[in-house]
Amino acid sequence: MKKLYRNIGMAAIALLTAGMLTACAEEAKGRTAADGPVPELGKAAPAFRVTDTYGKTHSLDQYRGKWVVLEWLNHECPYVRKHYGGGAMQALQKKYAGKVVWLSIVSSAPGKQGHHSNEEANELTKEKGAAPSAVLIDETGTVGRAYDARTTPHMFVIDPQGRIVYMGGIDDKNSTRKSDLQTARPHVDIALQEALAGKPISVPTSQPYGCDVKY
Amino acid sequence: MWKRLLRGGLLVLIASLAALPSFAKPVSTPHVTAELLLDKSHVRPGEEFRLGLHLRMKEGWHTYWKNPGDSGEAIAIDWVLPEGFTAGPIRWPQPHRISLNPLTTYGYEGEVLLLTSMRAPASAAAGSSAAIKANVYWMVCEKVCIPEEVTLDINVPVAGTPSSPGPSATLFERSAASLPVPADGWQIQAANRGDRIILRARPPQGFRIDQPGISFFAATGPLIEYSAPQPVSVADGELTMELTRSPYAQADVRRLSGVLHAPAGWTPGGPVAVEFDAPIVDSAPVAPAASERPPLTLFLALGLAFLGGMVLNLMPCVFPVVSLKILAFMQRSGDEPRRVRLHGLVFAGGVLLAFWLLAGLLLALRAAGQEIGWGFQLQAPPFVAAMAFLLFALALSLAGVMEIGTSLTRIGGAAGREGYGTSALNGMLATVVATPCTAPFMGAALGFALTQSAASALLIFTALGAGMAAPYVALSLWPTLLRFLPRPGNWMVRFKQLMAFPLFATVAWLVWVFGHQTGVDGILRLLLGLTLVGAAAWVWGCWATLDASTRTKATAGSVAAALLVSGFVLSAAAEPVSSAVNAAVQNTSGVQWEPWSEQRVAELRAEGRPVFIDFTAAWCLTCKVNERVAFSSAEVKKIVGDRKVAMLKADWTNRDAAITRALGSFGRSGVPLYVLYEADPQASPRLLPEILSPGILIEAFSKLQ
Repeated sequence: MKKLYRNIGMAAIALLTAGMLTACAEEAKGRTAADGPVPELGKAAPAFRVTDTYGKTHSLDQYRGKWVVLEWLNHECPYVRKHYGGGAMQALQKKYAGKVVWLSIVSSAPGKQGHHSNEEANELTKEKGAAPSAVLIDETGTVGRAYDARTTPHMFVIDPQGRIVYMGGIDDKNSTRKSDLQTARPHVDIALQEALAGKPISVPTSQPYGCDVKY
Repeated sequence: MWKRLLRGGLLVLIASLAALPSFAKPVSTPHVTAELLLDKSHVRPGEEFRLGLHLRMKEGWHTYWKNPGDSGEAIAIDWVLPEGFTAGPIRWPQPHRISLNPLTTYGYEGEVLLLTSMRAPASAAAGSSAAIKANVYWMVCEKVCIPEEVTLDINVPVAGTPSSPGPSATLFERSAASLPVPADGWQIQAANRGDRIILRARPPQGFRIDQPGISFFAATGPLIEYSAPQPVSVADGELTMELTRSPYAQADVRRLSGVLHAPAGWTPGGPVAVEFDAPIVDSAPVAPAASERPPLTLFLALGLAFLGGMVLNLMPCVFPVVSLKILAFMQRSGDEPRRVRLHGLVFAGGVLLAFWLLAGLLLALRAAGQEIGWGFQLQAPPFVAAMAFLLFALALSLAGVMEIGTSLTRIGGAAGREGYGTSALNGMLATVVATPCTAPFMGAALGFALTQSAASALLIFTALGAGMAAPYVALSLWPTLLRFLPRPGNWMVRFKQLMAFPLFATVAWLVWVFGHQTGVDGILRLLLGLTLVGAAAWVWGCWATLDASTRTKATAGSVAAALLVSGFVLSAAAEPVSSAVNAAVQNTSGVQWEPWSEQRVAELRAEGRPVFIDFTAAWCLTCKVNERVAFSSAEVKKIVGDRKVAMLKADWTNRDAAITRALGSFGRSGVPLYVLYEADPQASPRLLPEILSPGILIEAFSKLQ
């Protein structure tokens, strides 16, 4: 009897554990962009699958093990123009080229400001001298909504384990004046320096500022 | 003398000539016309005056307040002043909330006059005029945003004579009337509660805090979510507002500063906005019905958890399992006291360990961003299936399907000894089956636990486990207590068999829960799975007898295990169905229910209807008992109809992030929870007890207006 109880007990615990694990596996699977969770610092970055301007598919999963930067982009937005016009954004992209995967995401809906055909978008990238790893076209706004992307620019830094380690503005000077680039604290640049050096990120969130994303 | 007079007269003449209207020229951009205005006819040396930046936006376009909100940028003025003139900061009239889904900004549409106080130096020469220049920058937005920059000039006449209001005086007055005033005489507190900031404001007597449309504008960001609703409740002259913390807010932001806006004015003809800057304190979660429920302290929560843990033993899902434990104690009553004590402690250890494991898992999943609460494991159909398997197997063994002969002799003889491992497993088992039951006192303690740091949360779970194990520890420490029970004997065998039936009943209930989660097909899968459990028990009972060879036992064991596993796989593969479907089929008791949603609550409250919310789940036995007992009563049904109470059911049987959040907003993390809103849209909700009776409901409903 005693053995029997112990065996039943063991089997029960094993079953319960199996039940829990199955349940948890389902949780992980079920968390998709459509649920509209708010991205949270230190938590898993929402997964996405979207094609770039060359028709190539990118998913966050495929960059597991790498640092990823997400940049919400609308080349007609004056705030974005500040950062590209002065060459600052391009410089940042080039500074971290090869060290991070830099994905510029355009969530403008067709017909709205900042929406471009793949060819136009590639032309713009070339003309601006930008150097992202890819420009992703998210015209349904799925990725933008999953990340609750509010402004252009709006920046996220994701660690090799897929967690958000920085989210917010590109720097701390909410303005379109290029002169402010000199005096602003470059949040993303500092976050990347700290992250790549294995240090904790001193300012992990800030107010995202810019134009609203044209969903 | 004449000369002096003449000179004086000349000066006056010049002064009055100079006191001609100040001279400024409006500048227009494609979207905005901008102009500097002076509030007076002229300025005397040493006198204070105000300059206004007057912006008129094209229809549909707007500019931004000092905190623009989710996007945009504040208007900026860079003054170029003559020698000796000084300028204060911009004083910003009350902005509008401009919503552009999903963003909200604070800004100005139509026109705005930004005020700046200035002072002329005493040395300013009367008769001169001061040329003041402003480099003004703004972001003007409609669907797109355009930054614009202009330079504006104004010539401010300086004269020795008393000044009179200038031609723009009305504009200045209107702007000044919408400037926020300091919240003097107000008591303002802000407290963190999870991802919310609870703002409490008590104005001086006579302020109209019960008007609709009161809202908060944050002066700095990132701190609050600008788009989030700001639910307001008013009680005893105090206004409570719930703000949502922005995910971009840094953890070290410790001050809430901004403007409380009352569209109809705080007092008749008085200011529409008051500004304040208050520290944010950390606080225990407080249910919105704060006046009735004092905030929990950790100490009180621990006490409640301990009590709740003790009461858990009596709950229907636990009793059959713990009764076995009592039997084991009785068997051992003749045993040496040291061993008995040890068994009691080991059992308690098992209970605690199970609570820690559950709490650890719960906290870890929450930390990983899952919107879950207490009882979460039962939201997973595979777990429910596993529970059903476990209890079914236990019931079969109690009923005697397995090892009939030996168990009879063992129970008959007082010499039977259980291993310590079995005691620990029993403890864990008791805990696991206890999870569907939220005992009275437990709800508040658990809700509190989940808002606290992991350490205090674990402490509360520990108290819960200690409470649950306390009776056994007491029994094992003072075995004399057992004397109150009948002497061990053959009745125990019958009792044991009898206890199989509550377990079977519990299995039936779990099948029903599983059915709610997975539908009729799911029930079939689970019942087939249970049939395989029965087969496994039969195989084990027939061949793995005490006198069987090791090989036979091993074969029987593997066959039984294979049957168990295939049964589990079969059951766990059932697909969950959505909870909306569930709510529709659950209208079984007398009262008419409709499915809950945050939006529906807001609509009904806006209509001025009282709203009752039943937060429930099929796996919550306490909820089901309440529903059978309280809501099926004819009097309850009648009073619900008479008072036109909207009855909403929030079904948490399957995982639902919105319901988890709603529970959290009442400081809870599990069901049952009963919330009653009065018809008055401003009144705070009332929480009813976890154990309901028709009397409690009738009393609560009859108090409604």
